[in-house]
Amino acid sequence: MTDGALIVQSDKTLLLEVDHPRAEEARRAIAAFAELERAPEHVHTYRVTPLGLWNARAAGHDAEQVIDALITHSRYAVPHALLVDIADTMDRYGRLKLTKDGEQLVLETTDRAVLAEVLRHRKIAPLLGERIDEDTVRVHPSERGHLKQELLKIGWPAEDEAGYVDGEAHPISLDTEGWSLRPYQEQAVEGFWHGGSGVVVLPCGAGKTLVGAASMARSQTTTLILVTNTVSARQWKDELLRRTSLTEDEIGEYSGARKEIRPVTIATYQVLTTKRKGAYTHLDLLDARDWGLIVYDEVHLLPAPIFRMTADLQARRRLGLTATLVREDGREADVFSLIGPKRFDAPWKDIENQGYIAPADCVEVRVTLSDSERMAYAVAEPDDRYRLASCSPRKVGIVEKLVARHTGEPTLVIGQYLDQLDELAGRLDADLITGETTVAERQRLFNAFRTGEISLLVVSKVANFSIDLPEASVAIQVSGTFGSRQEEAQRLGRVLRPKGDGRTAHFYTVVARDTVDADFAAHRQRFLAEQGYAYRIVDSDDL
Amino acid sequence: MPDPRSGVRSLADDLRARTDDDLAALLIARPDLARPAASDLTALAARSTTRSSTARAIDGLDLTTLQVLEAAAVVADGIDATTLDELLPGTPPATIATALDRLRTAALLWGTPGALRVSRGVAEVLGPHIAGLGPTGAELGLDPQPPPALRAAITDLPEGARAVLAQLAWGPPMAHEPEQGTRAAEAVDALVDAGLAARRDDQVVVPREVALVVREGRLHREASPAAPPLEGTVRAVSVLDRVGGGSASEVLALVDDALSSWSTNPPRQLRGGGLSVRDLATTARALDLDPPRAAFVLELALSAGLLADDQGEDPSWAPTAAYDAWLDLPGGRRWALLASTWWSTTRDPTRIGQRRPDGKVVNALGQDVHAPPVRALRRAVLTTLAEAEPGLAPTAASLTARLRWRRPRRVPSDLAPRVAAILDEASRLGLVALGALTTGGRALVAGDTEALAASMETHLPSPVDHVLLQADLTAVAPGPLSAGLAHFLRQVADLESRGGASVHRFSAASIRRCLDAGWTVEEILRGLRDASHTPVPQPLDYLIRDTARQHGQVRVVEARTVLRVEDPAALEALLAERALSALQLRRLAPTIAVSGLAPDVVLEFVQDSGIGAVRENATGAITIAPRPAHRAPVPRVPPSVVRAFTAEDAEAGVAALRAADEQASGTALPPGTTGRGGPAGTTALGKSADRGGAPAIPAGDPATSLALLREASADRRPVWVGYADAVGAVRRFLFRPEDIDNGRVHGVADGVRRTLSIHRITGVAPD
Repeated sequence: MTDGALIVQSDKTLLLEVDHPRAEEARRAIAAFAELERAPEHVHTYRVTPLGLWNARAAGHDAEQVIDALITHSRYAVPHALLVDIADTMDRYGRLKLTKDGEQLVLETTDRAVLAEVLRHRKIAPLLGERIDEDTVRVHPSERGHLKQELLKIGWPAEDEAGYVDGEAHPISLDTEGWSLRPYQEQAVEGFWHGGSGVVVLPCGAGKTLVGAASMARSQTTTLILVTNTVSARQWKDELLRRTSLTEDEIGEYSGARKEIRPVTIATYQVLTTKRKGAYTHLDLLDARDWGLIVYDEVHLLPAPIFRMTADLQARRRLGLTATLVREDGREADVFSLIGPKRFDAPWKDIENQGYIAPADCVEVRVTLSDSERMAYAVAEPDDRYRLASCSPRKVGIVEKLVARHTGEPTLVIGQYLDQLDELAGRLDADLITGETTVAERQRLFNAFRTGEISLLVVSKVANFSIDLPEASVAIQVSGTFGSRQEEAQRLGRVLRPKGDGRTAHFYTVVARDTVDADFAAHRQRFLAEQGYAYRIVDSDDL
Repeated sequence: MPDPRSGVRSLADDLRARTDDDLAALLIARPDLARPAASDLTALAARSTTRSSTARAIDGLDLTTLQVLEAAAVVADGIDATTLDELLPGTPPATIATALDRLRTAALLWGTPGALRVSRGVAEVLGPHIAGLGPTGAELGLDPQPPPALRAAITDLPEGARAVLAQLAWGPPMAHEPEQGTRAAEAVDALVDAGLAARRDDQVVVPREVALVVREGRLHREASPAAPPLEGTVRAVSVLDRVGGGSASEVLALVDDALSSWSTNPPRQLRGGGLSVRDLATTARALDLDPPRAAFVLELALSAGLLADDQGEDPSWAPTAAYDAWLDLPGGRRWALLASTWWSTTRDPTRIGQRRPDGKVVNALGQDVHAPPVRALRRAVLTTLAEAEPGLAPTAASLTARLRWRRPRRVPSDLAPRVAAILDEASRLGLVALGALTTGGRALVAGDTEALAASMETHLPSPVDHVLLQADLTAVAPGPLSAGLAHFLRQVADLESRGGASVHRFSAASIRRCLDAGWTVEEILRGLRDASHTPVPQPLDYLIRDTARQHGQVRVVEARTVLRVEDPAALEALLAERALSALQLRRLAPTIAVSGLAPDVVLEFVQDSGIGAVRENATGAITIAPRPAHRAPVPRVPPSVVRAFTAEDAEAGVAALRAADEQASGTALPPGTTGRGGPAGTTALGKSADRGGAPAIPAGDPATSLALLREASADRRPVWVGYADAVGAVRRFLFRPEDIDNGRVHGVADGVRRTLSIHRITGVAPD
C-alpha cells in the first residue's frame, strides 16, 4: 500500500483526491488516457474508456506508461484484471495502419490474424481492394473515413498515417499586437498540428476561436470553417479580422443569405445539410477549393450528415473544437474516427484557476407555488406540467428581486417559453431577443449590451449557441429544456467568459419547488457540481 | 508364486517385514489405504492390490516414475535398476533407482531390492498392452527367436510389410485382418510368414520381442527422465503481492456486496436447487460483473458457508450467521477463509451455464456445479507453480507440459483451457498475480493457515472511518469502510462505484428509504457529520431536509372501523361517552374517528349507548345486515375404513414364518449367535460356532474381501468365508476360491462346488 492520490475502481473509474499533496502529479499522469467525468470539490472522477486509451496511444503513450501511472499513483493495489484489460485494449490500436504505398492508399497490419478477421468481416470486406501481400491490402481513397469508422466499431482502430494533401497555400499570420496566445492555447495548437488531425477540448470562454486562428496561421493554407449558425459565423469573421492578417476580401461567408467562396470560407452546418429533392445541394462547397484545413466548431453538435461528408474528407487536415466530448447522441466514436483523436484537453477548473475564466457562484432559488397553482399543477396533464411549473407567475417577482440585487451589472435572463419571456421583458423593462428577432436587431442589441449601453437582456434559446456576450456577469435562468447537460454547459459558458475586473459571476436558476421543474433542475445541479462549481439551494423566501 | 530366492513369500510378508516408518510412508503415499483403517497387514496388503486402490496409486505417479513402472511390469520379475536400464535408455540409472524406491514404498512393487516383483493389481490397471506392447511370442505360439535373428528377418521384409510393422510396433500391437487381396493383406502375410506376427481370432498381433527390436530396445518413444522445466518471466514478488492484494480486496468487497444485497432481497431458490439465470444476471448487474464472474463470487460464498438455503417454506438464498461473524474478522482472515475454501471445495463454477447431457442448463448454486476432479486439478496447478522459483510466471505451454508430466494418467483432454480457467479463478482471489504465485498462494499450497492470513493482511487496504461528502451529492469512502459506517451508508445512499474506494450517491429515494427505516433527519445529519471531516455540503443538507419535509405526507392508518359524523359536536359527544371508552376511539379529523375493533362490535356499542348509528360499506352505501340465525358447524367425523385381509397378506406372513422356521432347524447358526450381515459389520463369530476350529472372521469391506479371495485363488489356498444367506443369517465355512467374475466367486466348499455372491460375503480370513 502506498500513499498515492489515486484510487482505481473496478468499474474503471479513477478517483483523484484533490487535496492530496501529489494530486497534481497524478492528474498529469492520468490525463493522457482518462477522461475527466466529474470534478466536485474533494474527489475528481476520471473514466478509462477504450476511446480514451486509444487517444493515448495516438498521442504516443503505451500500455506500460499507463499501467505505470496507475501503479505509481494508486493508493491501493490495482486489480489484476483491470491491468490486463488496459493492456489488451491498448494493444488493439495500431495493429492496423493506413499508409501510403507510393500514390496508393493501403491498410497494413502487424498481425495477420487481425487482417484475416477484417477481411472476412461482412461490412469491411467491401471497403478493401486487392490484397498486395500477406500483410497489406489496398484501400480505395474514398473509403478512408468509412473504413476507419467500421474498424473502430469492431474494436480494431486503425492508425491513420497516410498523411494529408498540402492544399492550396495562402499566407495567414496572427496579428499579435497588444495580445498573445495563452500558454494552453499554444499547447493546443502544437498538439493538434503534431497529431495531424484531431479535436481540441477547451471550455467556453477559453478562446477556442484563437486556437482555430493560430492553427490556420500554422497551416498557411486555404481554410474551410464549419460553424453552427450565422451569428456564430459573423463572430468568427470579426475575430479573424481582428486577430489575423486576413482582410475582409479574403474571408467569405457561405450561409443561407450569402454564398461567397474565398480563401477562408465560413459555412454553417445548416446550409451544408440543406436538402433539395433528397440531395444535398451545397456539397460542392467541400470541393470548391483545394482546402488545406477544415475547422469544425462545436464538434459535439456536429450533425450526422456532416459526419458522412467528413468521411470523404479524410485526406485534408481536420481540426475539431469543442467544450465537451460528451455527445448526447453518443456518437463519440465517430468524432474519434472521422475528425481524429483528442489532441488537447484541459479541465475547466484548471483554466479557471489560471484566471482565464471567471469563477462562478451558482444558486438555485426554489419558489413555492401558490395554493391555486399547486392545485392546477396537481390536476394538469403530465405533458403540460413542465410548462406550468416553469412559467409560474411567482418566478417573475423573484427575477425582479435578483435583477435589483445586481443593478448595473450586465445581466441576462434566459428562458424557454416566449409568453413568460414577454412578461418578464415587460415587467423588467428590458429588450427581448428571440428566434424572431432579425439578425440586424440582434447584433444591435448585443453591441449595446457589450458597450454597456444596456445592462439587461431577456433572451430565449438563441442565447444557447455561440453568441459572444463578453461582459455578462449575471445569468438568471427561468426555464430550460428538460435538463440537458449540454445546454447547461452552454448557459454556464455565457457567464464564464473572462470579466475585465475579475469579479465573481453569478448564475441563478429559478425553479418551482415540488414539481418536475425541480427534478430537471436536479440534473443540472449535478452537472454543475460535477464541473466543480459549488452551488447553493435557497428558498425564495430567504432571498 | 512364492519366490525361493528372496524368502519374501508375498506382499503381505513384505509389508510385515517393513519398518514402521516404511509403513507410514506407504499410508502417506496411498492415503486411501488408511481410511478406513485395515484390520491387519494381510488386509492392508490385500486392499493395496485391489484394482481401485492400485489405479489410484498409479494415477498419482509422474511420467518418469510411470515409465519405470511400465518397464518393471514388462520385465515382471527380478526387477532392479540394471534390468530396466535397457528398456529405458535416456533415463539415468540413479533416476530409475529412485523411482523404484518410490514404487516399492507405495507397494506397487514388492520383494527384496534387486529382485522386485510387480504387485498383483498393477498389470490389471496398466492393461494388456503396456506401453503399446503385445503379448510375448510364446503366448502367441511363435517359435522363440533371438533378437539378431529377428532383426535379420525384419531387414528381409518387403517395404510394405516393414511399414505395417513399424506402425504396430509402437502400439496398439494388433490390427484387424485386412481384406484378402489387398496390399495390406500381402504385407500381413509376409509378417506372419517371417514369424514376426501371429494371427489371433481375426486380428494380427505383433509379439512383444519383435516390437522391442523395432523400437531398438526402447520401451517409450521419448524418455522422460525428469520434470520438464517451467519457463517464463520472473517478476518481483513484491509487485505480485501488490497486484494480488488488489484482487483480494476486490473479491472481499464483491462477496460482501452480493451478500448484503441478498440480506434484504433474498432471491428464490429454484425447485431443483440453485439460482435462476435471471437472478444471477440481476446480481451480476448489481456487482458490475459478467454472470460467470458473479457466479464465481456466489459459489465461493456458498462453499465458505457464508450463504445458504434459508430452509423456508418457499426456500430462498440468504447469508448465514457465519457471514456476520466473517464480517467482524480482520481482512486477512476474511480472505484466508475464501482462499482455503477455494482450495478445498469440489464445486466448479465454470460448469455454470453449460448444458447437462439432458439438455438442461447448470444453474449457479445448484447440485450440478459439484465436480470433484476440479479440486485435484486446482491443487496440481498451484502446487506446480509453487515448485517454480519465486516470482516466475510460467508460459501456458510450459505449465501444461509440466502438469502433463506430473499426472500423465489423470490430465483431462481439455487441459489447457481448464488450467487457464483455474489461473483466472486464482487471480481473482489474489493467489496468483500476473501468472505467478503470490506469497498468499504459496502459503495456501504449504497449508500454513497463519501465514496465509498474514500474507494478505498487509496488502489489503486498512478500513477507514470517514467519508468525503461532496456537493454533487456523493460520499466517497477512500478505502474499505468499517462495518458500522458501511451499514449506515448503505442505508442512506446507493452504491455507485466499487473498488479500493467506494462512491455512494444520495438521492431523494435513498433518503426516503432511510427515513422509512425509522431514522430522523437529525440522526441522518449527525451520522453524516460524524463520518465526514468536512461540513455537510449545503445541497446535501437541503436534500435531506427537503425529503424529510415531504416524508409522511400521506399517513396510512391501521383501523378496522371508521366512524363518520356530520356534526363535529356529535363526534365530541361520542369521544366523551364513558360507555364507549372500550372502543378506544381515536379522532383523525373533526368529523372522523377510528377504532381497532370490528364494525359489528362498534355498531352494537354505539347503538346500545342510545345513539342512532348505521353501517356503511366500503362503497359508501348504507347496509342493514339481517342477523342470520345462529348455527353450529357440522361436526367432522373421521371416516372409518376397514381393510380386508387379502390373500397376498397371508402369503407374505406364511413365507416369513417358513423362513424363520428353517433357520431355527439347524442349517444356520443356533439362535443367539445368529447375526445379521450388514454394513455395520459387527459380526465376529466365535470359535464355538457350527464348525470347530473356525477362526473369528472380521467384517471386511467388499474390496478387501475381494482382494483376499483373488489372492487365495491365485495361490490356490482356502480361506474362511462369512456368508449371509437368504434371510440375512451369517454362516461361515472354509472355501477354496477358483474363479472370480461379475460379482461372483466360484469355488469349492465342503467338497461341493458353490458360487457365492460377493456382496453377501461379510468377511474373509486366511486359513
